[in-house]
Amino acid sequence: MTGRRGGRPLVPAYLSTGGVARPSRPHLERLTVLTRDGAPLPAGLPAAELALLELLSGGALTVVEAAALLRLPFSAVRVLAADLVDRGLVRARAPIPPAERFDPDLLKRVADGLRALKHR
Amino acid sequence: MTQLPELVAGGLAAGTLCALALGGTLVRTRRRNAALRAEVVELRARLDGAEGAFITEIEHLAARRMPAAAAQLAHPHLRVPGPAREHTPGTPTGIALEYVLTALREELTAQRVRIDAAAQAGLRGATREIQAALYRLQDALRGLQQRYDEPELAQTLFALDHENEQSLRRAQVAAVVCGAWVGLAREESHVVDAVTGGQARLAGYHRVKVHNHLEPGTALVSHAVEPVAIIVAELLDNALRHSAPDTDVVVNLEHVHHGVCVTVDDAGLGMTQDERARAQRLVAGSDPVLLTDLGDPPRMGLAAVGQLTRQFDLHVDVTSPSPYGGVRAVLRVDSRLLARIDPGERPPSASAPRSTREPAVRERTAGREQPVAETDARETAGQGTAVRATAVHGTAVHETAVHGTGVDGTGASESAPTAPPAPDAPAVGAAPAPGVGSATAVGAAAGPVVGNATAVGAAADPGGSGPDGSGPGGSGPGGAEHARAGAPAPGRQEPVTPAGLPQRRRRTRAAEPGTPPSRPAARRPEEAAAALAALQYGTAAARTPKRASTPDPHRTDDEGGAAR
Repeated sequence: MTGRRGGRPLVPAYLSTGGVARPSRPHLERLTVLTRDGAPLPAGLPAAELALLELLSGGALTVVEAAALLRLPFSAVRVLAADLVDRGLVRARAPIPPAERFDPDLLKRVADGLRALKHR
Repeated sequence: MTQLPELVAGGLAAGTLCALALGGTLVRTRRRNAALRAEVVELRARLDGAEGAFITEIEHLAARRMPAAAAQLAHPHLRVPGPAREHTPGTPTGIALEYVLTALREELTAQRVRIDAAAQAGLRGATREIQAALYRLQDALRGLQQRYDEPELAQTLFALDHENEQSLRRAQVAAVVCGAWVGLAREESHVVDAVTGGQARLAGYHRVKVHNHLEPGTALVSHAVEPVAIIVAELLDNALRHSAPDTDVVVNLEHVHHGVCVTVDDAGLGMTQDERARAQRLVAGSDPVLLTDLGDPPRMGLAAVGQLTRQFDLHVDVTSPSPYGGVRAVLRVDSRLLARIDPGERPPSASAPRSTREPAVRERTAGREQPVAETDARETAGQGTAVRATAVHGTAVHETAVHGTGVDGTGASESAPTAPPAPDAPAVGAAPAPGVGSATAVGAAAGPVVGNATAVGAAADPGGSGPDGSGPGGSGPGGAEHARAGAPAPGRQEPVTPAGLPQRRRRTRAAEPGTPPSRPAARRPEEAAAALAALQYGTAAARTPKRASTPDPHRTDDEGGAAR
């Protein structure tokens, strides 16, 4: 959560999902990227899901970013996102795995080799 | 010798006369004695009767009237019986007996108040401690909710948080009934947040449907937030308790002439005339509350509402039946207790229902927009390049500025307020965001000559940049500097339409669909040169911190990999 800007929050997090914390689809991770899908909005969406959709209408966001912006815990946003994905309003993309780091040891050895070549 | 008989005769006569006289006196005396005796007997009988009557009255007083008078204090509908004999009232005895009753009532009332005050003090102390402990527990639970996201654990944490809220509500209401402060200072909050917060404290909150017809940004002053949340929670609790579990409880938030009304309708049984009168007496808060009046176990909800309405000058009415058949409870908050919050700067919580007065659901408020823009910019930075073109139809135009995102702390925030002379021409701020992404948006010119540029520092004040875009304009290169200096105070760029409403910014589209095609603004050569110089300066300025941060080993791999 982004600090306690307004002191103790008035509205607890469980209200956003109606007390549910088990997402309907298990594969959503913190860095799963959510994008808005073009399907028309059905009536009667919960307020928190509308808020999430509005966030996503500005562009793609990871689940954890959306959680920070909505000031909700990740576990709640995961439920919201899973529900929206089920309704076909949001697409979820698995996080891009981080590229492998260059092995500093290898780099060092290459540099040493080059230096050795140069000084030869 | 003749004298002797005469003498005898005379003596006899005198003796007879004497005897007669004495006899008469004797008879009279005797008669008087008899009369006196009779009077004494009669008086004694009357005295006996009076004493008996008095004893009867006293016995009646002790056995019947005093208990009744004592009970009447608690139950005003009870009737105290009159004296035992019909003609006692009005007599000195009757009046004295009434004095006894009056004194008894006064003393009993004083004792009741004293005992109740002691009980309230005890309960107040206990609940205060409990409330503080529950707040600490709430903090711990919310910390855990942030930290752990394993679904089963999160589910348990949600359930615990909810249980905790309910306990908190009980403790708080008990404390309030006992005359304590609500126990929590809040800052100004949206009315809808207070209502939703109250809703969350109940077991059956799923059944509550909140319809928010308030102007966005309608808020409560800080000291009224918690009382309103408590009152709404108690009214909702009553409604939920007295209606069938498959019916909804409908809450409407509306503006009225004197402020804001929160209407709670349930579709339950409703109340009888007596119950309604009692409830209204309680919620009006005009009589002091005694715990002993609240039943066993004490029903504290309405009494707490009464205490709060008295303390905070709120108004609650429960006398009208609901069109749904149940009870309609109306809480009115006077305009004195209302405030305004910029919904852009501090939006209501995500779970709070949207206002039906918002222009459109898809419209983002400006405050959310800013973080979005920030994230967007970060994203585009991650992807390497992005060209961002934004146009806000109407007026002051500006490009997103990204303020320093804490990683490098430079606060590199350059905005590009490209300000064409024609106010309605959409400006295009191109923001190449290459590589490392500490700074993304690039400042372009703010025409100093034309003077209708919107600089970032000025844009921090949404009102500052007026519809004609002639805010305190940053000029050219100076504008970029200004922007950087203004970065710590987060440069919030809110596009401002002539109506003053924030407009949403799209990532991809160059212009709003409805906007008439931009007409190229006529520029004088000096202006064009100034604009170009500013663009170059801005680009250079934006790239400098990037180069500085390139060797930073903490940059993430994807960015570093792309750059190398």
